[in-house]
Amino acid sequence: MLTGLLQAVDEAAAVERLHDLECTDGLPVIVPTEARVARMALAAGLDRDLVLGRMGPAGGIATVEKVAVAAVMAGCLPDHMPVVIAAVRAVLDPRFDLTEMQSTTHCTAPLIVVNGPARQWCGPIASGFGALGPGHRANACIGRALRLAMINIGGGRPGTSDMALLGHPGKFTYCLAEDEEASPFQPLHVHSGFEADESVVTVIGAEAPHSVLFSGSGDDPERHERFLEILAIGLANLATNNAGLRGGAAVVVLNPEHAAILAGAGLSRVQVAERLCALASHPVAELARYEPAFAGKPGTRERLPCFDRPSDIVMLTAGGAGLYSMVMPTWCAGPHRNRAVQVRIDTDQVCEVPGADSG
Amino acid sequence: MRDGIAIARLGIPAVSLVTEDFWPQGDFVAESLGMPDAPRLRLPHPVAGTGEANLSAVAEAIAPKIVEALAH
Repeated sequence: MLTGLLQAVDEAAAVERLHDLECTDGLPVIVPTEARVARMALAAGLDRDLVLGRMGPAGGIATVEKVAVAAVMAGCLPDHMPVVIAAVRAVLDPRFDLTEMQSTTHCTAPLIVVNGPARQWCGPIASGFGALGPGHRANACIGRALRLAMINIGGGRPGTSDMALLGHPGKFTYCLAEDEEASPFQPLHVHSGFEADESVVTVIGAEAPHSVLFSGSGDDPERHERFLEILAIGLANLATNNAGLRGGAAVVVLNPEHAAILAGAGLSRVQVAERLCALASHPVAELARYEPAFAGKPGTRERLPCFDRPSDIVMLTAGGAGLYSMVMPTWCAGPHRNRAVQVRIDTDQVCEVPGADSG
Repeated sequence: MRDGIAIARLGIPAVSLVTEDFWPQGDFVAESLGMPDAPRLRLPHPVAGTGEANLSAVAEAIAPKIVEALAH
């Protein structure tokens, strides 16, 4: 057994002990008994002592077993485990800059977007109404498992190692699937080069979702353009790091109705991102007024773009159909400037776990 | 703190500057990286965005301490 064992007289005492040791996210957890952890690790289909990487800022060694501990504590079903493993692999990718992200004063949390068949096999992972809200077990537990891993393996604890000044509620859990069936666009993972029948997590450090209201008029032939403009206003919110620091990434979640407006105008996913990238900018003078340290010296350019390239806008379709889409600004800092990292969900190794949870 | 430790590990004298509010994080990072006694000096908090006059005053106050720490 690689993971240390604690003793407690009963389950309630064990939960209190875990709270006292700062091993929880503040909510009650499922006690990670040896039997439960063994079942969860078995579900990954990987060796328990397989090292996935070192997790910052504490530099803890993320083994399959330790991730299984987090998954049990979070309330995951064994079916969820391949997605949890993929999400952990994603944040351990050096391009994710997890150590820096866990340590920043900014409010950022890893948003997990799931594509492909694992949305059903490992879930169901919700992509429709309230996908980012309560009531969806897989969404709640998978995101929470990643957070508990970041607390107990990565050592991210508020005020000493996780220096977020306020944080945001997505730091408890932040996970949804793309509604590929309701989307008129190519799914996010296919757009990124994966096969449609592959399952993939896209993980990106992101702020809380910001709502974007749009109705427009069906009689307006430029309705799609008005929608792109309002989305770009959301993305280029002058109070965000995307405007102030620039050069990072951001997430756009289109509800199916809004996605249909864009697709109905003949726009592809790439064209939407290109247009948003072109629209999201600010005059240098305006940036200098609020963020003189980041605006730089006046140069030849009158406006500074929020994004360096259209591919930095991560777009997906999810949610119920209606008036509201969402944008998630990001931190935009760290050596890699807050990039999305994609990892294939390995469902080939999955082991079916027999029997009920005997605790 | 991480940079200071990384530089020290290259054999180059280094001292990290840590503001008052981030002192516990400095301890955490130093401990995590296996160098709990990594040299560090305490700055007031905040420093960023406090204006040129204050930054100059902070710099003047800390500069001799940096030199002293590096000389040891």
